[in-house]
Amino acid sequence: MASLITCPHCGVRPKEEFTVRGDALPQRPASHAPDEAWHAYVYLRDNVKGVIFEHWHHVGGCRRFLVVERDNVSHAVLSVTDAALFRRPDVPGEDAQASAGKGLA
Amino acid sequence: MSITYTHRHVLEDHITGFETRPNANHLSVFRRPAIAYVLAHAGHESDVDLALDMADGLSKRICGPAEWLAVSQEMTPDNLMRSLTSIAGAAVLDDSDGRVLMRLDGPHARKILAKCVAVDLHPDAFALDASAPMLIAHVSGNLARTAEDAFELIVQRSTAGTVFEEIKEMGREFALTAGFA
Repeated sequence: MASLITCPHCGVRPKEEFTVRGDALPQRPASHAPDEAWHAYVYLRDNVKGVIFEHWHHVGGCRRFLVVERDNVSHAVLSVTDAALFRRPDVPGEDAQASAGKGLA
Repeated sequence: MSITYTHRHVLEDHITGFETRPNANHLSVFRRPAIAYVLAHAGHESDVDLALDMADGLSKRICGPAEWLAVSQEMTPDNLMRSLTSIAGAAVLDDSDGRVLMRLDGPHARKILAKCVAVDLHPDAFALDASAPMLIAHVSGNLARTAEDAFELIVQRSTAGTVFEEIKEMGREFALTAGFA
C-alpha cells in the first residue's frame, strides 16, 4: 500500500495516521430510489486493478476526509483532495454493474 | 454546601521521587497552562486566523482547516477565554483541563522526537513557530516548534501518561530528564 500520503492540510504523512474508508466513487442514490440501487450502492464494489479512488480519514492529523487517487499495482499516489472539494470524474471507470446501479437511482 | 476541588495534575503520579537537576535534554510539563480550542465559522477562517496571530500573550497551534488551539502560559483559562470570545466569527471552547502541555528541549530533541513522530522535523522543513497535528507515540496530538531546539507537545489528558512515558523512554539514551516546569 502507498506508505506516504500528502495531506492537503498537513503535508506528507505516513499511512499509519489514516484510516481507509473504502471506495469514494459510488454515488448515493436518492432516498426514494429502488432497493436495487441501494443494494448496489451499499454492497456492490468493483475490485479494480489499477487506479482507484478511496476515502481516507486523516484520524491522526486534521481529521478531514480525503479522497486519495492511487494505483494499487504500482502503489503510486496520484492525487489527494479534501473530500469536500472532490468532484467525481465524468466517467469514473465504471463497469456495467455500477452503471446499472446508477441508472436505477 | 460548596465543594472545593483541589487541582491535581494528571502526570503527578508519573513525576515522583526527588527532584533532579534538568539535563541538557529536558522534558518539562506545564502545571496549569491555558488552552482553548478555536473554530472559525464558515467565511471567517482568515479573519480568525489573523486575529489569533495578532492576539497578545497566546500562541496559535494549527489543528486542521479552520481549527486552532490557543495556548498561553501567562494567562489564566478565564482570561484566555475572555480575550478569545471577542474575536468575531470564532467559536471558542476552554480545554485547559482536557489537554496537557509539555515542552521538550535540548540538542537531541529532534533525535528523540524522530522515534515518536513520523514527520520531518528538519529545521528547513519544520520552521520556527510551525505547528501541526500529528501522531505522537501513536497518539494524536499537536506538535509545535517554539525555539531552535525546543518543541511543545499538546496531547489529550487521558493519553498524556502514555506519551510522557514513551518520550522518557525514547530519551533515555540522551539522558533526558523530566519534571514540572
